Amino acid sequence: MPGMKKNTGSDREHAGSVREKFSLSLRSRIAFYYTIATAVLLALVFTLVFFTVERVVYSHFDDELDREVSEIIGAQKPGTFDIRHFALSDDDHRGDHENDHENRKRHKTEVENDDDEEFLQLVGSEGKIIARSANLAGNTLTFQSGRQDKSYRLAAAGRLAVRQLQVPLTGTDGRIAGYLLAAVPVRDAVTILGDLKQVLLVSYPAIILTLFILTRLIAGRSIRPVEEVIAAAEKITRENLDSRIPLPRNHDELRRLALTINSLLERLQDAFQREKQFTSDASHELKTPIASLKGTLEVLVRKPREREHYEERILFCLKELDRMTRLIDQLLMLARYESSGMTARMEPLDLSLHIREAIGRMHSGAGRKNIPISFDGPQSCMVSADPAMLDMIFENILSNALKYSPPDSTVTVILSGSSGSLLCTFADNGIGIPDEKLSRIFERFYRVDESRSSGTGGSGLGLAIVKKLADLQHITVSVKSRRDSGTTVELRFPGT
Amino acid sequence: MRILVVEDEPGIARFLREGLEEEYFAVDLAFDGKSGLDMALLNEYDLLIVDWMIPGISGIEVCRQVRKAGIDVPLIFLTAKDALEDIVFGLDAGASDYIRKPFAFEELLARIRVQLRRNNPAGDQLTAGRLSVNPATHQVFCGTGEIMLTPKEFSLLEYLVRNKEKVCTRSRIIEHVWDMHFDSDTSVIDVYINFLRKKLDHAGCGNIIQTIRGVGYIIRES
Repeated sequence: MPGMKKNTGSDREHAGSVREKFSLSLRSRIAFYYTIATAVLLALVFTLVFFTVERVVYSHFDDELDREVSEIIGAQKPGTFDIRHFALSDDDHRGDHENDHENRKRHKTEVENDDDEEFLQLVGSEGKIIARSANLAGNTLTFQSGRQDKSYRLAAAGRLAVRQLQVPLTGTDGRIAGYLLAAVPVRDAVTILGDLKQVLLVSYPAIILTLFILTRLIAGRSIRPVEEVIAAAEKITRENLDSRIPLPRNHDELRRLALTINSLLERLQDAFQREKQFTSDASHELKTPIASLKGTLEVLVRKPREREHYEERILFCLKELDRMTRLIDQLLMLARYESSGMTARMEPLDLSLHIREAIGRMHSGAGRKNIPISFDGPQSCMVSADPAMLDMIFENILSNALKYSPPDSTVTVILSGSSGSLLCTFADNGIGIPDEKLSRIFERFYRVDESRSSGTGGSGLGLAIVKKLADLQHITVSVKSRRDSGTTVELRFPGT
Repeated sequence: MRILVVEDEPGIARFLREGLEEEYFAVDLAFDGKSGLDMALLNEYDLLIVDWMIPGISGIEVCRQVRKAGIDVPLIFLTAKDALEDIVFGLDAGASDYIRKPFAFEELLARIRVQLRRNNPAGDQLTAGRLSVNPATHQVFCGTGEIMLTPKEFSLLEYLVRNKEKVCTRSRIIEHVWDMHFDSDTSVIDVYINFLRKKLDHAGCGNIIQTIRGVGYIIRES
């Protein structure tokens, strides 16, 4: 037995490890999803940061270029605006013609040393370079032809990266006479932006990886109580259904999970208990008459006997067989109603008449105790019900009432209420049913008398049948009882 | 041998009594746990047959109470329960054996013989000197010659032989050979002893039953 248990345990573990191969564990999955979400978010943030920084840096240059260009344009002599006489500088010493070799040499050194310096270039409307500042030292600023508006862009002057502004110049006739190109070197800014990009690109995977590992660790820690619940639940089998999962200390979801599993176990245990009880009761009810028959007949044939003796025992056996037949009929009826979804054949009938007839049959029944059954209700009362089922319900309830009543008492049947809600009450002054057993009396084979004594002739199926038949006709059955003072069965008929 | 049957099902109780009495047992019946327990504690039985599910006190409780009172009488449970745990539970409660309903009467008799054999390692055959008694077949032999006895005579002889070398008081003989409906007029024992002695004498096993004056009777080997 213990060996068997161990085997099933390792089988389960084996199945678990196979499943793990095909799917991530919960902790890895949590870490994975979390990391993906963070990775997307972080990528967005990094991109945003990079482009914001880039824009801030370039707008700084652009402002500077703007200022420079407007100063140059503002410095032109009013009324003498001509592309040929356009002064490339707001102060004369810096402006120069392209063939001024002295200045070019001087400015060449400046190009290399002075980063704050602006480069200027004047371009004709056809793209021909008219003039350029000496510090360009033979390099030209790239001209974008066809652009009518003011435009900023990154460009190169020789080997130097520059931020460049191109402004169209409008002549006196209102046509574009040429373009003014201004540029500043952006070497530092490019380096800084490059560095920033590198830092972001390198740190990105590092952050993501660290995050994944950390999340997996944290997830593992936070689902450890789940593992404990699983381990506890795995130990619970059919044999120890009474054990429960220990509740975690924190009042959280896991505690709720444990509570839920525990209440599920409670219900399971209940169901198992009921099933066991049912099997045990059914076996008692079926085997007792067989044992009685078998034993009686065996003893009977052991020795030759008088004729009267044989007759008496055979009659007894026939009675036992009747009892068994009745029991099997009841069982089969219950099984049939339960399995095949049999429906009631509802038809309008006089409830009052049916009750009176049922009482009449009870009174004329042979071998009954002499207990009067009184009826109080209207002469006629129409309901919709299945007559055969109704008769069976009345017979079962009345025979129960008679069975458990003392000899000098009465059984009372009262029919009251209007056609909307009819109430039929069967009251006896019998032994009653203890409160704690009241809830189970509709279970098949359940008997208040735990010894299942056959003295009263019951098998515990009567009320189960009543309940089943009543349910099929939408009649509500309820039972009230006080110990030693009697039981009341109420049938509430649905409104028509 | 006197047996108490505690069983609430009248049909079963009746055939048990009838069948066992035909097997020369003295049988008392109890129909509920309370009276069954009282009788088991009050009288000295050679065997108890107890149904598990009986009104009042359950069969298990009867068994426990009997054992608690220090009575080491063989007890056979009789029940429709057949789940493994029920059997184990019943035997652990102190039952000597267990028989499931429905059962064959012959099997019950065999199980009763097993229980009564407990103190008699030789098996079913009881002997005293040349006398041998077989409780299973109800046959008595003196040497090779069979002696025909009535059921009561047989039960009396069986009891004396089972308790050979021990003095059997009149009251104990009454307890074990006659059932509770017998009013304790012990002089009936003397009558049966006389019948027995005559039949034994006739067969050649005379004087095996000795009278202990004012106390009872004894069977000695020699």
